[in-house]
Amino acid sequence: MANSKDSIDVKRVEAAFNPVQDQDLDIYGEELKKYTIVDVDVHVDDTLQNMLPYMDGHFGKRLEAVLAADFMGEPHNSLRNMIAHVSWLGAAYDKHPRAKLATKEDLLERMEYGIIDYSILFPSELLPIGYLPDPKWAAALASAYNEYMVDAYSNVAGVKLAIVVSPKSVEHAVSEIEKHASNDDVVTVSIPDVGVNPPLGDEKYWPIYEAAEACNLPVSLHGIEALIHDNYPLRVSHFPTLMQVHSMGFPFTSMLQVMSVVCEGVPVRYPNLKFCVMEAGITWVPFIMHRLDTAYRQYRTELPALEAQPSEYISKWYWGTHELEKLPKKGDLSKLLDLYQGHNTTMWASDWPHLERDLIAGLMYYDLDDDVRAKILGKNAIDFYGFTT
Amino acid sequence: MKERNGKRRVAVAPVDEFPPGARLEIKVGNRSIAVFNVKGEYFAIFGLCPHQSAPLSRGRLQGTVVCNEHTNWEKEWAHDGEVLVCPGHAMEFDLRTGKAFGYGMKLRTYDVIVEDDWVTVIL
Repeated sequence: MANSKDSIDVKRVEAAFNPVQDQDLDIYGEELKKYTIVDVDVHVDDTLQNMLPYMDGHFGKRLEAVLAADFMGEPHNSLRNMIAHVSWLGAAYDKHPRAKLATKEDLLERMEYGIIDYSILFPSELLPIGYLPDPKWAAALASAYNEYMVDAYSNVAGVKLAIVVSPKSVEHAVSEIEKHASNDDVVTVSIPDVGVNPPLGDEKYWPIYEAAEACNLPVSLHGIEALIHDNYPLRVSHFPTLMQVHSMGFPFTSMLQVMSVVCEGVPVRYPNLKFCVMEAGITWVPFIMHRLDTAYRQYRTELPALEAQPSEYISKWYWGTHELEKLPKKGDLSKLLDLYQGHNTTMWASDWPHLERDLIAGLMYYDLDDDVRAKILGKNAIDFYGFTT
Repeated sequence: MKERNGKRRVAVAPVDEFPPGARLEIKVGNRSIAVFNVKGEYFAIFGLCPHQSAPLSRGRLQGTVVCNEHTNWEKEWAHDGEVLVCPGHAMEFDLRTGKAFGYGMKLRTYDVIVEDDWVTVIL
């Protein structure tokens, strides 16, 4: 019941044709001011035309041909769209507002709001790089992306970068890591976890891990919906709706790659290399830990390199919260953290400004001890990426 | 704010300044309410999405797809123009009832009247 002394504020508004962003910060702003907040999964406009100046020779010509394609009325944004939502286009009756690509000005405006202290930028356009069949083309795109992002976003207060590498081009990936490692604003190596076959524990990729460990750069596995029909490691063409592809594609792909990396002994061989998983939610983490432990009892001789149960290695991985599942009770997140020992390894991630991005209210809904909330909102990320504040 | 029969009335806009298609975001104390004029009919509904608190006043109004025994379990487009789509993550609410499509929850709705040529929400 309103009190007659209540203040009344009336504001004329318009419908939002892009998803609303961050307006929940008005609600939680005061409470959030005491925290150092790191948003560990942020995307900016990295559409392919930005990379054209960084691609020479025949790769440049090839990119020009890509950019000339007018797909879905969105020239220059072709790679993800061509690969992505074609099969399920319209399945949701266009209910979702269109995704907005954030410009550099949008990012700076968000940062200047004063709530988000640090943003870690991950690729958007190159998330599908894992399933480009030509390794040299994938490598050329990765190089161009990294150079573009370093030129555009280095030395921007509060902004840190992930460089992307193509796992199909191991030597090139190593050279990209070594090339950018000395840049203090480059804080992680992003490896796609979709379309990568064999899976990421395979010996073929170990030079990438060796280089990342030597350069003290943690590895981030960033998912994307397993959107190509026969795309490894998950076939999704038999699902008629994007909802099914989206909801299970991310976590199942990530689970399979975590299993591969751990069971192939990568954490034993590179004990100082840190890993995290982005954009797969977190409720499945206890499941894979304890599921693998159960099988380990019976099949341990298949994994002689391991010196402990799989869960002991997985408990050292870090996890971006997006898309943070809404559990029924406010105390449930705390219970979940107990199950996977995630108090020191869980990092708030928004996926801003993509359609599915999490508002910070999604985390604030949960009851958490203040020190745990501070860790998830920022301290864990600072530990993982190792930058100084 | 006026009070009558124990209910408070909040005048939010003169009728001629709140035409069809317009919407208002109002705050009464800490309470957010979204008010719409849909083809001359007024609606008021709780203003924050229960998912992640996105402002429902900014949501698009459109229809949705239904599939039930009344449609012989075939998909049909329905409620055109009266489904409020959250601008955060697209949860859908029936503007008339507050009912969330596909969820066992209902947002509070408020009566809206015209009083002294002002659009007035009854709390």
